[in-house]
Amino acid sequence: MGKVTYDAIVVGGGIAGCEAALNIANNDFNVLLIEKDLSVGGKMILLSKVFPTLDCSACITTPKISEMARHPNITIFTGSELQKVSKYGDNLFEVSIVKNPRYVNIEDCTGCQLCEQACPVTVPDQYQLDMVGRKAAYIPFSIANPRVAAIDIDNCTLCGACEKVCPTKCIDFTQEKEEWIIHVKTVILATGFNLFNPEMIPRYGFGLYKNVVTSMQMERQLAPTRPFHTVLRPGDGKVPDRIAYILCTGSRDASVGNTMCSQICCMYSIKQAQLLMGALPMADVTIYYIDIRAFGKGFNEFYEQALGMGVNFVKGKIGKISEKKNGDLVLRYEDVCSGKLQEAEHDMVVLSVGVVANQDAQKYFTDLTLKKDRHHFVQQVDPLLNPSKTSIEGVFVAGSVSGPMDIPDSILSAGAASVEAINHIIQFS
Amino acid sequence: MKKKIGVYICHCGGNISDYVDVEKVYAEVRNEKGVALAKITMFACADANQKEMEADIPEKDLDGVVVASCSPQLHLTTFRAVVERAGLNKYDYVHANIREQGSWAHSDNKSGATENAIHVVKAAIAKVRNAESLEPIKISSVKAVAVIGAGVSGMRSAIALAKAGCKVYIIERDHFVGGRVAQWENLFSTNETGEEIIKRLYNDTINNDNITLYTGAQVLSQSGNIGSYRLKVQINPGFVRNSVYSYEMDEAISVCPIKIPDLFNFGFTQRKAIYRNHSGQLPIMAVIDDENCTRCGDCEKVCKDIDFSQQKKEINIEVGSVLVASGFDTYTPKNNEFGYCVIDNVITLPQLKRLVAMSDRHLEYKGNRIKNIAYIYCVGSRQLDGENKYCSRYCCTAAIHTATEIRRKYKEINNYHFTRGVRTYGKQEIYYSEALKMGDVFMQSFDNELPEVLQKGNKTFVKIKDILTEQKELKLQADLVVLVTSMVPRDGISVNDLFKLPKGRDGFLKEIHLKLRPVETVIDGITIAGCCQGPMNLTESVNSALSAATKSYSYVSKGELELEPIIAKVDKEACTWCDACFKACPFDAIIKVEEGFKVFARVSDSICKGCGMCLPVCPKDAIELNSYTNREIEEMIDMLASD
Ligand SMILES: Cc1cc2nc3c(=O)[nH]c(=O)nc-3n(C[C@H](O)[C@H](O)[C@H](O)COP(=O)(O)OP(=O)(O)OC[C@H]3O[C@@H](n4cnc5c(N)ncnc54)[C@H](O)[C@@H]3O)c2cc1C
Ligand SMILES: Cc1cc2nc3c(=O)[nH]c(=O)nc-3n(C[C@H](O)[C@H](O)[C@H](O)COP(=O)(O)OP(=O)(O)OC[C@H]3O[C@@H](n4cnc5c(N)ncnc54)[C@H](O)[C@@H]3O)c2cc1C
Ligand code: SF4
Repeated sequence: MGKVTYDAIVVGGGIAGCEAALNIANNDFNVLLIEKDLSVGGKMILLSKVFPTLDCSACITTPKISEMARHPNITIFTGSELQKVSKYGDNLFEVSIVKNPRYVNIEDCTGCQLCEQACPVTVPDQYQLDMVGRKAAYIPFSIANPRVAAIDIDNCTLCGACEKVCPTKCIDFTQEKEEWIIHVKTVILATGFNLFNPEMIPRYGFGLYKNVVTSMQMERQLAPTRPFHTVLRPGDGKVPDRIAYILCTGSRDASVGNTMCSQICCMYSIKQAQLLMGALPMADVTIYYIDIRAFGKGFNEFYEQALGMGVNFVKGKIGKISEKKNGDLVLRYEDVCSGKLQEAEHDMVVLSVGVVANQDAQKYFTDLTLKKDRHHFVQQVDPLLNPSKTSIEGVFVAGSVSGPMDIPDSILSAGAASVEAINHIIQFS
Repeated sequence: MKKKIGVYICHCGGNISDYVDVEKVYAEVRNEKGVALAKITMFACADANQKEMEADIPEKDLDGVVVASCSPQLHLTTFRAVVERAGLNKYDYVHANIREQGSWAHSDNKSGATENAIHVVKAAIAKVRNAESLEPIKISSVKAVAVIGAGVSGMRSAIALAKAGCKVYIIERDHFVGGRVAQWENLFSTNETGEEIIKRLYNDTINNDNITLYTGAQVLSQSGNIGSYRLKVQINPGFVRNSVYSYEMDEAISVCPIKIPDLFNFGFTQRKAIYRNHSGQLPIMAVIDDENCTRCGDCEKVCKDIDFSQQKKEINIEVGSVLVASGFDTYTPKNNEFGYCVIDNVITLPQLKRLVAMSDRHLEYKGNRIKNIAYIYCVGSRQLDGENKYCSRYCCTAAIHTATEIRRKYKEINNYHFTRGVRTYGKQEIYYSEALKMGDVFMQSFDNELPEVLQKGNKTFVKIKDILTEQKELKLQADLVVLVTSMVPRDGISVNDLFKLPKGRDGFLKEIHLKLRPVETVIDGITIAGCCQGPMNLTESVNSALSAATKSYSYVSKGELELEPIIAKVDKEACTWCDACFKACPFDAIIKVEEGFKVFARVSDSICKGCGMCLPVCPKDAIELNSYTNREIEEMIDMLASD
């Protein structure tokens, strides 16, 4: 067992959590970062290029992450989850953590992928949003951190093939859950957001029609670590040439219980449209929208750029999607500009799914009350002057755990949480 | 001379290899002079590859490394750190940019992009062959920060820095703190008033021993560098002795004969040459505005606290970092832009907010009771023809919030919104839905067919071709037309020029990288916070202010900093002191040294920024730039010019 006291614990290793951990550690405080997934990096590490500058997302994320992974003041637990956070004495928190077994010794694995080749079990690859398969013994994705194997025990048949080929003998089926009790001075919640499940809107046919995909699936198809070498529609592997985006899927929609605007979907859709026009020069891209919310620094200019490139913007509400025999899709929509009902055919439809709250954090606080806002995000109790403050003194929020945010806003929010946490640590040291 | 160089050529996951034939580059450079190892990688920056490089260096006994990848802005430091971890000096590393200046720039010409990459990599190899190990310059850093501006962003970052143990000097140009927020009453998203917000910040500011607040102050000049900036600050007197407000001061104000437009109320009201803080601003006191006072002495006769003997003061402060929080201006519409200045009842949103603050039981403008208000959005933003291409971000929500607040306060009001598509992003959507529920009317114009404001007789009309009602031509009679104006950069702020801070295309101060280093500027040690960087609401301003505080804190918290040793150095023997370099240096880093009969130039390590301006002007060729020596550059040019 390692050290059991830290100055700060950061929960969630997305871009916000990483930024906060680095800021605090760079000022000589020690930090424990807890990530429930097998790799840190959150959603951002899986993105293609990022608006509004079209930087390659992997290129921005990976160095930050490797700087963090190597930082002498930062300890990272991947595959781990909090169980409970309670007060300990006047100024400390006691945090209990469960570190789930990976069945691979992280220190010894070289990421050679021999186990992957040997494993006979194939299941859908969650990091490619189920568009391709992966093995039960697998490296999460090529730029994962740590880039080491893991055994998906739920799907593993315990055949032992991986163990036999592993050159460093790092596979260990005897690993068990580890429980840790840790004392910290401050807690930073950076557990991010969840994506809206489009199955809740049956008329869009997600799950039913193969060529209706989510924006995150499209994001993977456009990323450098993409599943295929070009953009394909899943139904028959055809390269699409009439692609439609449906904005506000699950946002600004009382019928699914979410009246909030998700703040990122307009922009990521415009971005994907631009990337698609680069990848598939012959394709037509149409974006069906309610309003285009290109509000941030450089965003409106980015929107104008898409207009200039020939992306087709239609202000309209989608009534229903139906599938033709050949897998093409017919969209019925109300064209707001003419007030008429229209139909349009596309061969692939991308649902720009919205942001919903990740409510994990509330579960951990049982003696203390972590308040949530009307949209179930962790509540910012003093948003105008202390945006990272929560209802519990010493517990701060960073990034999209408190509401939808793009990457620049998540990073600024993490910067704010950092100085608040540092102030708190200094005050109680 | 390096003899065992490792070269890594990056695919950048297709960003490079889609346009540059990476294999060909590899084949062309692997046998270059000095190259001991060449490799192709998918993502050079990924952790696994970094580890591989770290292993290669000792194993192959490499003495220099080149990575051909993206811009050095992104990853120069990443790979320098890799070679350092493997035991080399970080200047044994040279970065070759084949993405921003290669594959992306020449995506229409693959063979050309490949040729370009080959030359760039060969030049980098030539440079690393001649590279010298250098040690960073260590300097001490003063644990103090200067904050420019005492709006919300400035005060909030000052409080955070002070709590972390830094000494903070706030320099506010105005005699009162609060900035723009002092001008607004109810604020979204909490309905606190500007006054409440400023009071909280002001109390925390003056009650913190680490903070010194200078109002009526401006930075006159600066010198130095990160770790030690020396600022000369001028403090203008208020000519009032006591900071306690008294009945006599009311008297003094009422007898003052000078009247000028009050900018706090955007010219709706007038103030005297002696005036007091508006509610919202602090501290509570009166000051005399030197520029407009005629020294008639009337105020002195009724108030014993007037003191015309007060003088301008100059003080010198030394800080390790400067945090700029100088805020924004509100856009002033051009003459006759939507009737502004020409049609009587056309005002701006900031003016409306002041009008409401000053109104009591009814909303009146120029003696007329207001019933129908038309709001025209995006004035000074999203211009197709004008300069301001950007969206101002705060204004849709601010306009809707203000409109609904007005309806709550004065029941008789009807609101008509002439929008270009409402952008109440995120949780702010609630204000839009509420306004719709309350019966506010929203219309939307085409971007290239904006609403028109017309006057007929003594009536004002707004005309729109409305997207939301099947492009019907609608015409509304309005008692008040409110132009929802943009945020614009503050005009002629001395600090920007003083610190040579770069601006973006939108005219706001520019960060180094929106995602990697969003509050740092290219001038080391200077951070930016709040609306001086671009339009933001309060929550966003404070997030940015606290991020800037985090960064400024990390510059000063340890008391020591390392600087890049890429600076000029003078060959003392060859120098004959002609003063050409002294005149060419934009940073005053050249010092004249006399040793016996010998007079020569010396470069101040901590001031020199390595810009190289002194090099070409030296008639004796006595100056070289570390890491860019003549030998390195000449060999690079040879390579770039080769076939
Ligand atoms: C399709 C799509 C495209 C996008 N494109 C862009 C773009 O181009 N530009 C841009 O600026 N933004 C873009 N975004 C938005 C961007 O993804 C977010 O701004 C960013 O990911 C927010 O970072 P975060 O760290 O707050 O949250 P997340 O990325 O969600 O990270 C949260 C982390 O916490 C972990 N976690 C969650 N719960 C727990 C728990 N209970 N315990 C421990 N760990 C936990 C998660 O595994 C994850 O690693 C896009 C989003 C989507 C969906
Ligand atoms: C009409 C309107 C309504 C708004 N309503 C809301 C709302 O309801 N809710 C919300 O969240 N946000 C609102 N905002 C946004 C809010 O006003 C800004 O986010 C906030 O003012 C930004 O604060 P700041 O400190 O960055 O800049 P400012 O408020 O502009 O403060 C800058 C300070 O720096 C000083 N300064 C400038 N130059 C110098 C110099 N050279 N030397 C020394 N000092 C200098 C100035 O005097 C000023 O005190 C509104 C904005 C407008 C225009
Ligand atoms: S926020 Fe709204 S009013 Fe302001 S510029 Fe953007 S779209 Fe126009």
